[in-house]
Amino acid sequence: MGFKNISDKNPVAVIGAGSFGTAVANLLAENGEVLFYSRRPEAVEIINTERVNNGQSIHPNIRATCDMQELTDKCYLIFPSVSSDGFRQVMQNMAPYLRPDHMMIHCTKGFDIKLEKDKTILDKDVLLKPADIYTMSKVILEETCVKRVGCMSGPNLAREIANLQPAATVIASKFDEVIREGENAIRSKRLQVYSNHDIYSVELAGVMKNSMALAAGALGGLGYGQNAMAFLITRGLGEIIRLTSAMGANKQAFLGLAGIGDLVATCTSPMSRNYTVGARLAKGETLEQIIATSSEVAEGIKTVSISKKLADSTGIKVPIIQTIYKVLFEELNVEEALGFLMEYRWGFDADYM
Amino acid sequence: MLKSVIPRIKDWPINLIAQKREKILQECISEAVLEFNKSNPTLSQLRNQLQKTLYLENIRIKNESWEVDPEDEREFWGKIKKRLLQADPNLVDEDVSKEQHQEMLQDIMSRYANEIIGHFNPNIFWFARQLLVRFFARLFNSHFGGIRGMLHPQEKLKDKLIVAGPVEKLRNLSLKGTVILVPTHFSNLDSAIIGFGMDYIGMPAFQYGAGLNLFNSKFFSFFMGNLGAYKLDRRKKNPIYLETLKSYSKTNVLAGAHTIFFPGGTRSRAGNIETELKLGLLGTVMEAQRIHFEKNPANLAPKIFIVPLTLSYNFVLEASSLIEDQLKRSGKEQYLVKEIPTATGKGIWKFFWETFSKSTDITLSLSEPMDVFGNALDDDGNSIDKFGKKIEIKNYFVSKGQLKADDQREMIYTQMLGDKIIEGFFKNNVVYSSHVVTFVAFELINKQLDFPDLFTLMRSSEEDREINFDTFKTAVKRVIDELYMLNNKGQIKLSPFISSKELDEIIELGITNVCIYHTNLPIMRLKNGNISSEDLKLLYYYHNRLLGYGLQKYI
Repeated sequence: MGFKNISDKNPVAVIGAGSFGTAVANLLAENGEVLFYSRRPEAVEIINTERVNNGQSIHPNIRATCDMQELTDKCYLIFPSVSSDGFRQVMQNMAPYLRPDHMMIHCTKGFDIKLEKDKTILDKDVLLKPADIYTMSKVILEETCVKRVGCMSGPNLAREIANLQPAATVIASKFDEVIREGENAIRSKRLQVYSNHDIYSVELAGVMKNSMALAAGALGGLGYGQNAMAFLITRGLGEIIRLTSAMGANKQAFLGLAGIGDLVATCTSPMSRNYTVGARLAKGETLEQIIATSSEVAEGIKTVSISKKLADSTGIKVPIIQTIYKVLFEELNVEEALGFLMEYRWGFDADYM
Repeated sequence: MLKSVIPRIKDWPINLIAQKREKILQECISEAVLEFNKSNPTLSQLRNQLQKTLYLENIRIKNESWEVDPEDEREFWGKIKKRLLQADPNLVDEDVSKEQHQEMLQDIMSRYANEIIGHFNPNIFWFARQLLVRFFARLFNSHFGGIRGMLHPQEKLKDKLIVAGPVEKLRNLSLKGTVILVPTHFSNLDSAIIGFGMDYIGMPAFQYGAGLNLFNSKFFSFFMGNLGAYKLDRRKKNPIYLETLKSYSKTNVLAGAHTIFFPGGTRSRAGNIETELKLGLLGTVMEAQRIHFEKNPANLAPKIFIVPLTLSYNFVLEASSLIEDQLKRSGKEQYLVKEIPTATGKGIWKFFWETFSKSTDITLSLSEPMDVFGNALDDDGNSIDKFGKKIEIKNYFVSKGQLKADDQREMIYTQMLGDKIIEGFFKNNVVYSSHVVTFVAFELINKQLDFPDLFTLMRSSEEDREINFDTFKTAVKRVIDELYMLNNKGQIKLSPFISSKELDEIIELGITNVCIYHTNLPIMRLKNGNISSEDLKLLYYYHNRLLGYGLQKYI
C-alpha cells in the first residue's frame, strides 16, 4: 500500500504496537508519515487492513511493517515504545540495522536490571546498587551504536490521548538536536511539548511514580478520598526525590511535568494498570491472584521491588515504598499497611527539597 | 624493549610535523583568529576581549612573573595598550578600527602560538634515550652488581616499568591513525615515565603539553623543548590564549601528531583517580575528527584513536605537597597550613632510586583503544558495535543525510567520551598491595576515631591512631576478597603480586613499598605488631586511590 504523499520528509518510526505505542504513532501521524513496527506479521496485516489496534483507530498516515531493514533505511527518528522487560532484547534485535545517524526517543517508563544468573529481584540476598539499574536510554547506549538518545515522558495516559484529549509531554535529551527533531515530529494542537536536558532525571521520575500509583490504587480501593490521596502524592514525591538523589538525579525534573505532573495523573486515574493492581489488593486479592488474571504485568510491581532493594542498599528511608513492598510480597494487608503509615513519625514536611 | 613500529626516528610523525613548523604556526594562528571571531563577531565584543586580555596579562606580569617569561613582555603589552587607545572606534573610522583590532588579535595570537609550539629533534631524542638507559643501568648496577646489570639494563627494566594491556593493538593503530593517549595524572614525572614507557614498547614519540613553569629550569627546558613538549601556561586564563591553545592542539591532531592529553587538567590533588575531566582539549579532538570527514571521503579520512591509560605507583613524588594543597583548598580556614615542601632535583633522584633499586614497580595500564565516540575498535582500527558489526562513524556527524558541524552535539559527544575515559581509568586501575593497606588503614583509623570531619582527624594524636593488627588483617582480607570479585567482573585489575601471594606477605610488602620513599611514615607496624600512622595526610592521599569502588562497606 502506498503513502498519501503529504510531504517529502522522512517517515518517523514507532517500535512496539502496544496501547501507548499506538497513541504515539497516531500523534506523530498528524505531522507526517509513520512506519509502525510490530514483529508479528499477522498484527501488521490487521493494522494495515482493519486500521484498528488496541481499540484505537489508526491514522491514515500510519503504515505497519515487520521489515526492520526498511524501517531503519527510511527513518532517522525512531520512537521505541516497548515494555521494559522486553526492551533490551528489542534493542539487541535492532542493533544490526541501526546507524550512527539514527536518533531514538523512547517512551518506556521502566527499569532494566542486570542480575546474576538464576536470581530474581525478589531473592533476599540480591543487593542492588545504583549502577545495576539501567534506564532505557542507557540500554540503548549499551546495546546499539546510537548515541543521539532521548525520552518522552509526562502525564500521558494512552487512553486519553487516544480520545484526542489535550495533553503536555516532556522530551528529554542531552542533545538539542534530538529535542528539536522530537518536538517537530510530535507537537500538535493536542500535544504541548516541553524540553529538558536532564534525561536521566526525567527517566527516573517516569519510572519511580509507578510505585505510588499502586499505593493510590490501594487507597482508592479502600474508598478513601482526596485528603489521603494528596498525602500520598506529596510524601510519595519526597521518597522518590530522596531515592533518586542517591542515584545521581537532580531534583528539578521532579517538579515538572515528567515528575509531579505524571505522578498526579497516574495516582488519580483509576484506569491505569498500576492503579488497578492496587485497588484489587485493597479488595483482598493476593498478588498471585492478580497476576494470574492480568494480561499485562503492571510495571509498578517491578518498580516497587527495585526501589525497595535500592533503599536497603543505600540506607534511605522510604516508608511508603517499604510498606507497599510488604503488601505485595510479605502478605501485609492493606488496612494494616495504612495503619502503619498513619502511625509513622514523619517529622518535617517538604524535607526533600 | 620492543622494536620500534617506525624504525627511523626521522620518519616519526612528530618529526615530520616539526619539519613543518611554520606551516603549523600559520594554520594554528589563522584557525584561532577565525574561531575567535566566530564567537566574538562584533567590534565591541572583540574590543572587550582585547581589553580584558590586556588587563589580565598586566596583572599576571605584575603579580606572577617567571624566569621563563620573555623580557619584552611589558613592552609588548604596553604597545597593545597604546594601539587599543588609538583604535578607539569613537576616534577613528569604523572600518579602520576593525582592521586595527584584527591586527592586534593576530599579533597576540601569533605571540602566544610561538610560545606554545613545541619542537622535536631526532638527535636529542636519541641522545636522551641513551642517557636514560645508562641512568637506569647505573641504578641497577649499583643494586644488583656485576656487569650484567650494566650491559642489559632493559632486562630488569621490564620488571620495573610494566606496560600492561593491548600493547600490540596500540602499536598497530599508531600506523593506521592518530593516537591520543589520555592518562591519569598523579605526578610531574608522569609525562617522562609515559614517554619512556611508550618508547619501550616501540611507539613513535608523542607530543604532550607541559606546564610552562617546568621550562624555568634550563636543563628541563632543553630536553622537553626538543622532545615534543609544547608549553601550557596555567597563569594565562584569558580567552585569547585559551583559543590559541585549543587551535594549536587541533592543528597538530589534524596533522597526525600522536598526542598525550591529561584530561584531568592538573595532577590529582587528593590521590584519587579522576572522576571529572576538563573537556576543552578533548573537544578539539572531536572537532578534528569531524574536519577529517569533511575534507576526505569516508574511507580515506584519517581516524583518531583514544587510549586511556591508568598509572599505578606505590608512592608518588609530590604526594605531600599535593595533599597539603588539596586539604588547604577543601578545608579553608579549618585547615592551618604549614610550609609546603616542593619537589627538588634531589627528590626526583630519590624517587627513581627507590623505585628502581628496591622491589617496587610502576604500571602503565592501557585501556582498550576506542574511537572518539567511545566505540570499540577491531585490529584494523574499524569501529565496531557490541556485536562486532562495523560502524561508519562519519554518520555521527550526519543529520538527515547532511554532514555538518553542530557544537552542542559535539560537546555532548565529548562528554560521553569523557565518561568512557573515566570508565577505562577505573577498569584498568592496577591495584598494588600498598594501595590496599593504606586504604584499609585509613578507613579503620577514621572509623575508630569517628571525628566529625577530616580536619579534626588530621590533628589527632599519634597514639589514638593505633589499630589492632588482627582487625586490620581481617579487613584487608575482606577488601581483597571484594577486589577479586571486581576483578572477575572486569571492574579493576590486581597486580600479579596480590594475586599470587599470601595475606601476610601482601600486607608486609604493601607497608614497605609505600614507606620506602617517605620520611614520615604514612603507615607502619608498631613494636607490638599493631598498625599506626605518622602522617595521616599521606595515608589519606594513598587511601584515596581506591575510592570509587564502593569498598568502604567491607571495612
